[in-house]
Amino acid sequence: MGCKINALLFVIATCVIGEISAAEVEVDLDVEEKNTTTIVPANLLCGQAEKVTNRRIPGRVVDEYQLPACDDEKIKPWRKTIELGPMMPDRWRIVEALGTETNLFDPYAGHNPLKGDLPVWGKDWFYSLIAISDSVVEPRNFPVPVGGPTTSRPDSLDTIGDGDITIFSQNIILEHVVYKGDTVYRPPDYEFRFTTVFNFNQVHTDERGILNIDPNLGGSAGRRRSDRFLGIQAAFVDKHLRNVSTRYDFDSVRVGIQPFSSDFRGFLFQDSQFGVRFFGNRENNVFQYNLAWFRRLEKDTNSGLNDVSQGLRDDDIYFANLYWQDFPTLGFVSQFSVTHNRNREKGQVEYDVNGFIVRPSSLFEERFSKDYDVTYLGYSGDGHFGRINLSTSVYYALGEQTSSRFRDAKDEINSFFVAAEFSIDFDWIRPKFSVLWSSGDDDAFDNKAKGFDAIFENPQFAGADTSFFIRQNIPLIGGGSVALSGRNGIIPSLRSSKEQGQSNFINPGLQLMGIGFDADILPELRVSMNANQLWFDDTSVLESLRQQSSISKNFGQDISASLIWRPYQSQNIVVRLSAAVLITGAGFDDLYGHDYTHPYSILANLILTY
Amino acid sequence: MKNNIIYLFLGFIALLQGCGAEGGSKSEQLAVDQTQVLSESPAGCIGDCASGNLFLTVSDIELIISQAVAEAQARNLKATIAISDRVGNVLAVFRMTGADEFITISSTANTLLDDVSGGLENVNIIPDTMVAISKAITGAYLSTEGNAFSTRTASQIIQENFNPGEDNTPSGPLFGVQFSQLACSDFSLRFNPLSLPSAGPRRSPLGLSADPGGLPLYKAGTPVGAIGVITDGLYGLDKDINGFDLDNDELVALAGTYGFAAPLNRRGDVITIVGKTARFIDAVVSDIISTDAMSFSEINNNVGALVAVAGYYDGKQQGLSADRNIHRVVLPGTAFGQPSSGIVPADPSIFKNQAGESLDAFIFVDDNNNNRFPARTALDTPNAELINRLTQPEVQEILNQAISIANKTRAQIRQPNGSQARVSISIVDTQGNILAMGRTRDAAIFGSDVSLQKARTAVFFSGTGKRENAPADLLNNLPPPLYLAALAEPVNLSNGLDLLPSPKPKFSDYVNALQLFIGVPDALEKEGSYAAFSDRAGGNLSRPNFPDGPVKGPHGPLSKPKGEWSVFSVGLQSDLVYNALIQHVAFVLGAAPDVGQNCTGNTGLSNSPFSKQNTIKGLANGIQIFPGSVPIYRGDILIGGIGVSGDGVDQDDMISFLAVHQASLVLNNGLQNAPSDIRADKIDIPGQDTRLRYVNCPQAPFINTDKSEVCNGL
Repeated sequence: MGCKINALLFVIATCVIGEISAAEVEVDLDVEEKNTTTIVPANLLCGQAEKVTNRRIPGRVVDEYQLPACDDEKIKPWRKTIELGPMMPDRWRIVEALGTETNLFDPYAGHNPLKGDLPVWGKDWFYSLIAISDSVVEPRNFPVPVGGPTTSRPDSLDTIGDGDITIFSQNIILEHVVYKGDTVYRPPDYEFRFTTVFNFNQVHTDERGILNIDPNLGGSAGRRRSDRFLGIQAAFVDKHLRNVSTRYDFDSVRVGIQPFSSDFRGFLFQDSQFGVRFFGNRENNVFQYNLAWFRRLEKDTNSGLNDVSQGLRDDDIYFANLYWQDFPTLGFVSQFSVTHNRNREKGQVEYDVNGFIVRPSSLFEERFSKDYDVTYLGYSGDGHFGRINLSTSVYYALGEQTSSRFRDAKDEINSFFVAAEFSIDFDWIRPKFSVLWSSGDDDAFDNKAKGFDAIFENPQFAGADTSFFIRQNIPLIGGGSVALSGRNGIIPSLRSSKEQGQSNFINPGLQLMGIGFDADILPELRVSMNANQLWFDDTSVLESLRQQSSISKNFGQDISASLIWRPYQSQNIVVRLSAAVLITGAGFDDLYGHDYTHPYSILANLILTY
Repeated sequence: MKNNIIYLFLGFIALLQGCGAEGGSKSEQLAVDQTQVLSESPAGCIGDCASGNLFLTVSDIELIISQAVAEAQARNLKATIAISDRVGNVLAVFRMTGADEFITISSTANTLLDDVSGGLENVNIIPDTMVAISKAITGAYLSTEGNAFSTRTASQIIQENFNPGEDNTPSGPLFGVQFSQLACSDFSLRFNPLSLPSAGPRRSPLGLSADPGGLPLYKAGTPVGAIGVITDGLYGLDKDINGFDLDNDELVALAGTYGFAAPLNRRGDVITIVGKTARFIDAVVSDIISTDAMSFSEINNNVGALVAVAGYYDGKQQGLSADRNIHRVVLPGTAFGQPSSGIVPADPSIFKNQAGESLDAFIFVDDNNNNRFPARTALDTPNAELINRLTQPEVQEILNQAISIANKTRAQIRQPNGSQARVSISIVDTQGNILAMGRTRDAAIFGSDVSLQKARTAVFFSGTGKRENAPADLLNNLPPPLYLAALAEPVNLSNGLDLLPSPKPKFSDYVNALQLFIGVPDALEKEGSYAAFSDRAGGNLSRPNFPDGPVKGPHGPLSKPKGEWSVFSVGLQSDLVYNALIQHVAFVLGAAPDVGQNCTGNTGLSNSPFSKQNTIKGLANGIQIFPGSVPIYRGDILIGGIGVSGDGVDQDDMISFLAVHQASLVLNNGLQNAPSDIRADKIDIPGQDTRLRYVNCPQAPFINTDKSEVCNGL
């Protein structure tokens, strides 16, 4: 049955597509020649004769229709011709003629050369500047080691210490865009984008040995670290290769450091990396495609930004995906993807700027960095079925990696990931239900890696960065210098570092079930809440790393709430305040002790955008 | 000849299995003794498998040697092979004709590392037999029914970083363990030429070895001994564990273990220490190139011979002459847990918990099955008053508490996960006299001597303010270590030995450096203010980088500077025992009497060679510099120390610390841990902003509760 419906839909789709194609011949693409000097009075548009007009309705052929007769009994249309003065070749000169003045500080002033409102060179080269200040203050608490060779305080006799940590982070983002083309309808012919992010960060801890491998480095006896970094988050050239239809379906190529997301929610990969991407669309944007190759940049440890001063990593990612609008039903977009991650970092040893080893991971054999080849077969969907909204991703990962246990041997990688968020809108409130299953490995020593790991996740899911578990990187104390999950990561992949480490397919995996809502209680104010129950999928990897038996799967309940206040109902000023707490489960207690209570995370964020 | 040919079909197996990972564990599995394991646990032996009929028989040992010799021949190597039982009785030493008889000690040979001078580095007169025996004993002493470790494991866990090569990380958990089981130890029982292998634990001629090529031997899941092999003339360690190291010593030893290999689910490579698996072996069975082995009778006195080693093995033929070598025989090992092994179950009416239940404890016995170290009252007079001394019931209470806590403690280095910690425990008085020693079931043997070293070290370094025999005075009066210079190769002993002109450390240098470093000028002095040094705290000061790990730091005051430090020359620990070790080498070479049962105060190769001068009785078996001991107090008076060894160092720490705490609660008479304000973690180290650690109790400390904060506040 399902098969039939699909087939039928496919036929309809091809029909429509066929007709549009037939109409293409009649369409005059040269818009610029149609400059008129007058506005034609409406009465001239009525009459008895049959007139042909170029009216376009998506999905239909050029329409011929009968103009209605003019009816003097009704309101009289304007009968005079309005002289518009000299012909204006572009709209910005109209704005200028109307007397709007340039105000470089007002991004909304209709005449701002910094915002691409008029060309800066020639007649179709525009410049746009985006400047963002992003400030974060983040007090948080979760278990940390008390220190190895030394401690902050005397009488620290146990392993797990006081996990109060406060982070301050300030980003100044400057994004420069230069492009050639029309600013309205047509995709630009060329686009050059250059984005720099300057980051200053400062971290305070109560315990030592967390911020740097040398417990004496940094201020306050190794308990404060300040760092700054300038990262290049975009530096690309985009060439519009060609249009392939009257609807500006196109092919483009983009070369350089560019943002890319593997799916709707950033489960597999969401990052700005160096690469080459061919992309475009077909059939009036029904299909969109990406063919991309990325070679990853090293990241700066404390800012997470791209570090172009170092050579590229021996890590290639190949993406091929196809988005299909209104498939399988109207209002739902499906995406099919094949992603291949080829890592050739075997034998390398890499430390982060704080002196901690990141490749290989300080875990199990720690013999050398491994090579791995992983192919992710994915399906993602986003949209709605009737009133039910659904956003989902499913990945199956298969491949192999160098075994670090046995010489010249390989581990087989075989893992999966499923996530779905269901929601329904009632006026101003959207309740949500989330489920996620990231497979875990059931035996760390069997040469079969069954834990799922992403390439570079940034999941917008189940509360995202307001959630405690997703936001925070809780160290697996006594089980290797790794965190359960990376910062802004949901998969407990036990990587040395989300940014600098390698994927780890020998991990406990996760199961999540959550409820939540987004409520727009004022036009300026959104309130969200999420409650997620977290279970490890399989704790045997944790048991091996911690030499512990029967660690419970139940990690706990992650409860979070956030306020987003946009005083001008725009993105120019956004204030976010969120708080999350982990109600610890038996699995957490097994790892960190039941005497450790209420890990929490608070996030205050101010974003100012020009 | 034809009858006795033992076909191993190793090549055939290798062909069947291919060289992939899938085949790896299958062919490895075939190298394990296939006898059914008799354990109450379906997961394999958990300390309950050792029995009177599981020991190395003469034919076992002959097969093991034959297999090793076949591999050495196939690789065109000349090996010296030693076999020991679990308690260190040497059962055979076989030297292939043409094997190097002098071995060079070096941590830097065949590496790009800078040469190190001093200590045992570059000493090149070490008999091959001493090396092979040390490697075998290491494999035996580190392995239990819960864990199989090798000399490669030892190499991984004794270096300045853990893992070795991971920059700036703290040192290996068993940093310093190589200087234990020393030939001069007063704990170890010595080989008696008049008796067959009998009660141990025995000493190890060079201490514990980090040179790959020492592997444990198992039968039906229980360790029965080990094999040690030297072929390359070099006694070193693996400094670079990044890759797979194909080491000839290890390959030959591996071939020897075929049929007696450690169970796969007990090997170090499935055991994690702070999340890092222990290295067990870098070679795999399919690396073995020999396809069959001749019988022992064919190789003995043909491609090589059993050779006597003074102090260790004579194969029933006393004397060292070559003609006697042809008559020597292989000796059967002892069965662990039987009186002949020197380790037997303890009397449950003495070793019991508060509820009167048996602690399942074990004790050390002599050849006559007498407890060597029953609890007794101390021999000292702390603070000049007899009433302060530890009494026999107190000693027994502390010992019982320690065993009781160990039984509840989550093991760090044993499989299956969730096993009980298995340790040895020593309690000493302020003079270092042994007041009691005991063990849990199946504790690793190495922990016996080490626990005593640890207890003594804690007591010794906590002895500031002692009117008599203040530690500074004792150290300052010791004769200095006299380092041997390398002889010209090939070694010819008749040319005499030279001393290294530099470095020439003195023990007063260590005392002064310590006082200066911690900013306590009267530390260790008789007029000094009290400070309680656990082994963890003292260990902090004994690392080549302070605080432990970052290379930026200064070297610890009890350690050595770059260029002089190596695992063969670690500082005060190795200098204390250096002269005695050299005397023992001279003894095995036939050039000196055997060393006495005190490692300190030996004059070495001085004008009055190898005589005793101001020995420190309280440090008779040397000191230990990795965690696992605390001093014991009555009020604020030092009255003794407890040392624990055999499991993870955090476990050792916790068991010693909590044992004293629990005993203090039960006894309620002032006996206690060091008062908090005199513990070493209160010392404000000048210019360092760094404090010492007192103890570090582990994460998830106990098996049956998820409490994690168990030591803070005590």
